[in-house]
Amino acid sequence: MNWLAGTLGSSIGKKLMMALTGLGFCGFLAGHLAGNLTIYWGKNAFNSYAEHLHSLGPLITLAELGLLFFALIHILTGTTLFYQNLKARPFRYSVNKNAGGRTIGSRTMPYTGFILLSFIVLHLINFHFVDKTGTTIYQIVHGAFANPGYVAIYVFAMIVAAIHISHGFWSVFQTLGANHVKYMPFIKGVSIVFSLIVALGFGFLPVYLAYMV
Amino acid sequence: MTKTINLTLKIWRQKGPEAKGKLETYKANDIPTDMSFLEMIDVVNEKLTLEGKEPVAFDHDCREGICGMCGTVVNGRPHGSEKGTTLCQLHMRHFSDNDTIVIEPWRSRAFPIIKDLVVDRSALDKIIQAGGFISVNTGNAQDANAIPIPQETAELAMDAAACIGCGACVAACPNASAMLFLSAKVSQLALLPQGKPEAARRAVSMVREMDRLGFGNCSNETECEAECPKEISITNIARLNREFYKAGFFSSEK
Amino acid sequence: MQLDAKIPGGPLAGKWDRYRFELKLVSPANKRKFKIIVVGTGLAGGSASASLAELGYNVKTFCIQDSPRRAHSIAAQGGINAAKNYTNEGDSIWRLFYDTVKGGDFRAREANVYRLAQVSNNIIDQCVAQGIPFARDYGGLLANRSFGGSQVQRTFYARGQTGQQLLLGAYSALMRQVGAGKVEMFPRREMLDIVVINGQARGIVVRNLITGKIETHASDAVVLCTGGYGNVFFLSTNAMSSNVTAAFRAYKKGACFANPCFTQIHPTCIPVHGSYQSKLTLMSESLRNDGRVWVPKNPGDKRFPRQIPESERDYYLENKYPSFGNLVPRDVASRNSKEQCDMGKGVGETGLAVYLDFEDAIKRHGRDVIEKKYGNLFQMYEKITAQNPYETPMMIYPAVHYAMGGLWVDYNLMSSIDGLFVLGEANFSDHGANRLGASALMQGLADGYFVLPYTIGGYLAGTSLEKITAGHPAFRESVEIVNNSIEKLLSINGKRTVDDFHRQLGHIMWDYCGMSRNDEGLKKGRKLIQQLGEEFWENVLVPGSDKDFNQSLERAGRVADFLEFAELLIIDALARKESCGAHFNEAYQTKENEAMRDDKNFCHVSAWEFAGKNKEPVFHKEELKFENVELSQRSYK
Ligand SMILES: Cc1cc2nc3c(=O)[nH]c(=O)nc-3n(C[C@H](O)[C@H](O)[C@H](O)COP(=O)(O)OP(=O)(O)OC[C@H]3O[C@@H](n4cnc5c(N)ncnc54)[C@H](O)[C@@H]3O)c2cc1C
Ligand code: HEM
Ligand code: FES
Repeated sequence: MNWLAGTLGSSIGKKLMMALTGLGFCGFLAGHLAGNLTIYWGKNAFNSYAEHLHSLGPLITLAELGLLFFALIHILTGTTLFYQNLKARPFRYSVNKNAGGRTIGSRTMPYTGFILLSFIVLHLINFHFVDKTGTTIYQIVHGAFANPGYVAIYVFAMIVAAIHISHGFWSVFQTLGANHVKYMPFIKGVSIVFSLIVALGFGFLPVYLAYMV
Repeated sequence: MTKTINLTLKIWRQKGPEAKGKLETYKANDIPTDMSFLEMIDVVNEKLTLEGKEPVAFDHDCREGICGMCGTVVNGRPHGSEKGTTLCQLHMRHFSDNDTIVIEPWRSRAFPIIKDLVVDRSALDKIIQAGGFISVNTGNAQDANAIPIPQETAELAMDAAACIGCGACVAACPNASAMLFLSAKVSQLALLPQGKPEAARRAVSMVREMDRLGFGNCSNETECEAECPKEISITNIARLNREFYKAGFFSSEK
Repeated sequence: MQLDAKIPGGPLAGKWDRYRFELKLVSPANKRKFKIIVVGTGLAGGSASASLAELGYNVKTFCIQDSPRRAHSIAAQGGINAAKNYTNEGDSIWRLFYDTVKGGDFRAREANVYRLAQVSNNIIDQCVAQGIPFARDYGGLLANRSFGGSQVQRTFYARGQTGQQLLLGAYSALMRQVGAGKVEMFPRREMLDIVVINGQARGIVVRNLITGKIETHASDAVVLCTGGYGNVFFLSTNAMSSNVTAAFRAYKKGACFANPCFTQIHPTCIPVHGSYQSKLTLMSESLRNDGRVWVPKNPGDKRFPRQIPESERDYYLENKYPSFGNLVPRDVASRNSKEQCDMGKGVGETGLAVYLDFEDAIKRHGRDVIEKKYGNLFQMYEKITAQNPYETPMMIYPAVHYAMGGLWVDYNLMSSIDGLFVLGEANFSDHGANRLGASALMQGLADGYFVLPYTIGGYLAGTSLEKITAGHPAFRESVEIVNNSIEKLLSINGKRTVDDFHRQLGHIMWDYCGMSRNDEGLKKGRKLIQQLGEEFWENVLVPGSDKDFNQSLERAGRVADFLEFAELLIIDALARKESCGAHFNEAYQTKENEAMRDDKNFCHVSAWEFAGKNKEPVFHKEELKFENVELSQRSYK
């Protein structure tokens, strides 16, 4: 296993883990969003989507464990990278400027990441680890968004997610070595579009539930 | 006749590696705008010397943008704000009268400060020692035209080989990473047929050495590419990543 | 002292092969018992260090810069010659040999030059194998271009950065040996003395430029690859740290200095503009392949170049030398620029410049083609001058560029001190009185890759070497000399900075010992230099301490040596009562103002031996015998 630890433990290996897990999350987000959109078809559609999910039984547990595993890797590696990168420049510049390479997304990756982590914990407490006997998932969600505070937190979190992804998505390709002058502009475009979809798709849900139904 | 300008300089002064440094303020008056940035520092140094003070230590040699010896951070930008330009090729016509210019050394854990604006970049040599070569002893070579290399490939290799090893990429990277430098060498040699036999070993040992030397990790901020005086592209980093995965997962390299 | 060039006998073409066979060998197992010091990491030093280590010798390598990759060779732009004849134009080893001897105005050794031409092909093979991305044609084979003074295309190039690529090749070979533990690398060290014991070079004394510590290193042989002395003129195309110190200190220890007056002035540099200027930038000679050199016909014509009609332009090179036109050798091109400017036809603010015009080339080939060929040079020009050469002609003027002179060496590249070898620009060997374009890179790599590794073996195998360490009293003596001079420099505490002296020295040299010389001027120059030297030791101001990173102190030591060396250069110029190549004495010229050699009296190498401070150096003559080429008046008409 030495070679595996050596490869994954290197700076590029860590990036690879970030990219693969990050890409996994992007995939999860896409699926999650597709599911959540059923809300627009009304509460029955949404509830039956949830039931259908749960009927998958061990499969869904497996997926959850997979996500957890990915999350652990993404978070632990991300934290290590953040710490190592801070240490690599012990003495900072007194004037900081950039040459146009950095974006809001790239600049804030670790911070948006930690915000997302807090959000995910809150999100799971809200909707996952709740007592679901005698109620439907739609009711839980609808109930939660009666509180304008929650709406604000969710909208904010989705903007943060979009920012994280706006850099993260194209960055995955670069990290995996898929940077070609012909395709990179397109990938960067997809990055922006995808993060907008996440922000609008997820972000509008709480607003819709709170004020429009 | 040429225009002249007056400037306020804030220059990092530090006696030695262990000493504490600080920004000191100097005036540079009547600087002709067709002077180069380093010549401007020369003028300041001549003045300091005559005043009985110690001149500012700074590295430089060829003064034509090829040796990679010069380089300081000027107003937050390595080699100043002109694109594709080393500090020695930066001319004062890009500044205006009464500007304040803050001049700092490259800052990175892997580049300890020697004095004032001079840093120790031997870490870059160590990265090359780890594998930035083709193992061909003198006399081993076959005829130069024995292996045709597509012009496009040769040009791509040359794009990467143009690196002058100044360290601006490290200075510019928010994480003080040396990935652009390393990737330029790995790319040049991986593109050419002559470099293929050792490609796997090269990628693995050079990356490992870079990690050991205390550089940060690449997070695709692309500041390096934007600041590189030779405009080396981050497509080289992508190529390095590919080479590294190939070596790590599909070769017998450990 | 008797100079023996040790040129092997027999027919020219077989000399090197036979000689290599006759040389004694050091067996592979014994090589690791020898320690060799290499000073300098340019093409010569880098290639020598790597090749020696590959053979098994223990090598210690030194350079001034923070990394061996930054040696001045990195700046070479145009290309490197080889007799490959890939272009099928009838090139051959013989032709390269002949062109080099003729280009050098018949003041180089036939045997050395022939060997250079012979190994030129191996260099290209080696470099390609190292992964140097030379320019290629669409078919994937190597491309060639023609380069100053040659009528065949034999120059290999990597954009305008050939020197960089070749040096990085040698550097990577060197780094490989450092990694393997066969070379110990000492960057940021300046060699300040050479230690000679029993007539053999046995070590060096260096200053650690970071800590200021004086260090001693012992060895079985010393190889100097410390580059050229062009900076004696202050303004030159050389890097700021290029110096004569290492060579000059070796001279003071008994190594003869040969032909110091042969200094090449390159015709195409960006003109001087201001008194603060610190160095001059070369515009590659390859520009003359497409650019046309001209000045206004009427002196003092201050119109914009594009407003001057064809009929009022003087394309003086094309007119004077119809067959070579703009491609005449460097010395000829430079002298003609000066002549035009002296007639008041110079252009630009200072009147010390001529036009190099691409208008016709752009019309003929289109802007794209020109951009592809010279884009990076045009960009560099624009960066420095803020003028766009696609639209207005470039302004150029000659500048000091290369030292053909250097420490005298025999066929083995060994100086007149046993065990002290000298390679690259630091020796005098192959270029005679004028170097052809793209030949210095070739020579540096030939010396380091393909000549020294053999000849040094012959020396080591055939010499008895006493066991010594750096504790030997000779080292202590050297350290004391070095320390004394450093202390002296720091204690004068005068009123003028080092650069101030250096700049003045440069003016004197340029005015009295530049592109064209006369006895009266040379004598005057010599006197001025002596005065300046005296003032230097009374009035120089060197701040800081010797126990520290101190760039003023570094420069002070170099300028002190330049001041003494400048005198030697002038002495040599005065002694050579002829004009040849880069040495143009106005008293010796043809009716058409071309250099007039005196083969009867001056077909020799002048080698100077140090006789003591303030004493005239001792003159030694190495007669040059031309058995294979006929001495002729160089004509490029
Ligand atoms: C701008 C320019 C363009 C050129 N273009 C071409 C071209 O196109 N084709 C061509 O053939 N030639 C060209 N030349 C000439 C050629 O580049 C040089 O002659 C050649 O590179 C010299 O190589 P070298 O190894 O002898 O010395 P250098 O490369 O000068 O190396 C000298 C080395 O010695 C070290 N050193 C010096 N003094 C000391 C000391 N006291 N102690 C310790 N170390 C010391 C330095 O650190 C350095 O490592 C060009 C030259 C210039 C200036
Ligand atoms: C749904 C949630 C998340 C998604 C979709 C996501 C996605 C991504 C993606 C695609 C990348 C880019 C990988 C690369 O550059 O190759 C990335 C990087 C990163 N993520 Fe996340 N992430 C999420 C959550 C988190 C969390 C909870 C953290 C908290 C620690 C985090 C921290 C980071 C950091 C620090 C990086 C940058 C690593 C680097 O480039 O050095 N992310 N993320
Ligand atoms: S001094 Fe050589 S690159 Fe600037």
